[in-house]
Amino acid sequence: MFTSFGIYAQELFVVTEPASNAPAGSLSVRVGQSLMKNDLTDSNMYSLSPEVTWGISKNFMVRASAYLDNSVNSLDIAGAGAYVKYRFFSVDDLQSHFRMAAFGRYSWNKTPIKQEPIDLMGRNSGFEAGLVATQLLKKVAISSSVSYGQAWDNDGNDFPEFQGKSALNYTFSVGRLMHPKRYVSYKQTNINAMIELLGQTITENGRSYMDIVPSIQFIINSQARIDLAYRKQLYASMHRPVADGVFLKLEYTFFNVTK
Amino acid sequence: MKTFNIYTIVTSLLLLMTGLTGYSQISKVDIIATGLTCSMCSNAINKQLKSLSQVSDITTDLNTNTFTVSFNNNQMVSPKVLKDAVEKAGFFVGSMVLTLEPENLKVDNYKAKIGDTSFVFMDEKKMNSAQVQYKVVDKGFVTQKEYKKLSKTYAKHGSYSSENSQMYHLIAL
Repeated sequence: MFTSFGIYAQELFVVTEPASNAPAGSLSVRVGQSLMKNDLTDSNMYSLSPEVTWGISKNFMVRASAYLDNSVNSLDIAGAGAYVKYRFFSVDDLQSHFRMAAFGRYSWNKTPIKQEPIDLMGRNSGFEAGLVATQLLKKVAISSSVSYGQAWDNDGNDFPEFQGKSALNYTFSVGRLMHPKRYVSYKQTNINAMIELLGQTITENGRSYMDIVPSIQFIINSQARIDLAYRKQLYASMHRPVADGVFLKLEYTFFNVTK
Repeated sequence: MKTFNIYTIVTSLLLLMTGLTGYSQISKVDIIATGLTCSMCSNAINKQLKSLSQVSDITTDLNTNTFTVSFNNNQMVSPKVLKDAVEKAGFFVGSMVLTLEPENLKVDNYKAKIGDTSFVFMDEKKMNSAQVQYKVVDKGFVTQKEYKKLSKTYAKHGSYSSENSQMYHLIAL
């Protein structure tokens, strides 16, 4: 599903990543959970993904993620991934910015492949490379990304013979600061509302899907995040047993951990 | 040496004080950061600035993203170190205003030196002893738009466009 996670409020998108990076020297820990309806088993699939993000420099960040779910039996490790992002363009002005970044992801997975979408965040082994651009204008952030993903056999589970292994991914996200209207201190809880669109087209056969993800986000003490999101499929022309569900993500940032 | 223009002469004199006196000539620095509107972003800058050992206190106006930085006795970091801290958090400096203590600062021919760092005062008209607040106008210390304008205004200034990281150009506020 190519979802990913960000670091800055209105553009701290819940299921996509902005062009901005994690602050240099910061370490953030995030635990994502989701409960997705599984049409194959007529039950819910629970996923848990702990991850650690490190801002190596002002332009470069890395992230390690683990993916656990109960798709095979009880909660078990499904895969793991590494993500890097490099910000290469910034035009900043008072209360606005435009930024661009390049990113890459490498994923390992061992679960049986029972779906057509290529999901490098928990269901497929493979890699992804792409570009993201983000515009912040006062209280609103708009971001869009395009990436190419390539899947291969999962560890111990072959990639289905008649499915496309590569995909074009495209996302569009809008976030707005809803509260506070006026800042008083770092202790104030910030509330952001977001809508994100996530799409994918399998390049070999043109099959695609598009999802919409509305979310609400609370930033506590300017250091912790709580994201609540609902993912809903708008359309799909591919076999996709697991599409809709709810997300709860918690994140805490430790600033200046490394120099 | 007729090739020297008036500004070069203005900026070419003076060597005073040694590094021993530190930066007590600067009592505080006001920084406006650009590219952010969220308190978590602001906090990232706040934490970066706080991690500097010379910094004693920071007050923040979250609505304007203004950070007022005070320093421990006789300790100040150069404007570049403060700028780097803001950039490490992922943002940029839109404005940096130094509050000088004129009685501790020897200004000669519109130039002063503190430690290894030189400060060049750009407008002689406004230069007087009562003046204490000066804005740094070098690249990276103003917004990109503002820098474009300034480079036109000061195109003929001897040292302004040299981008010497040890030399700061100041405009009286």
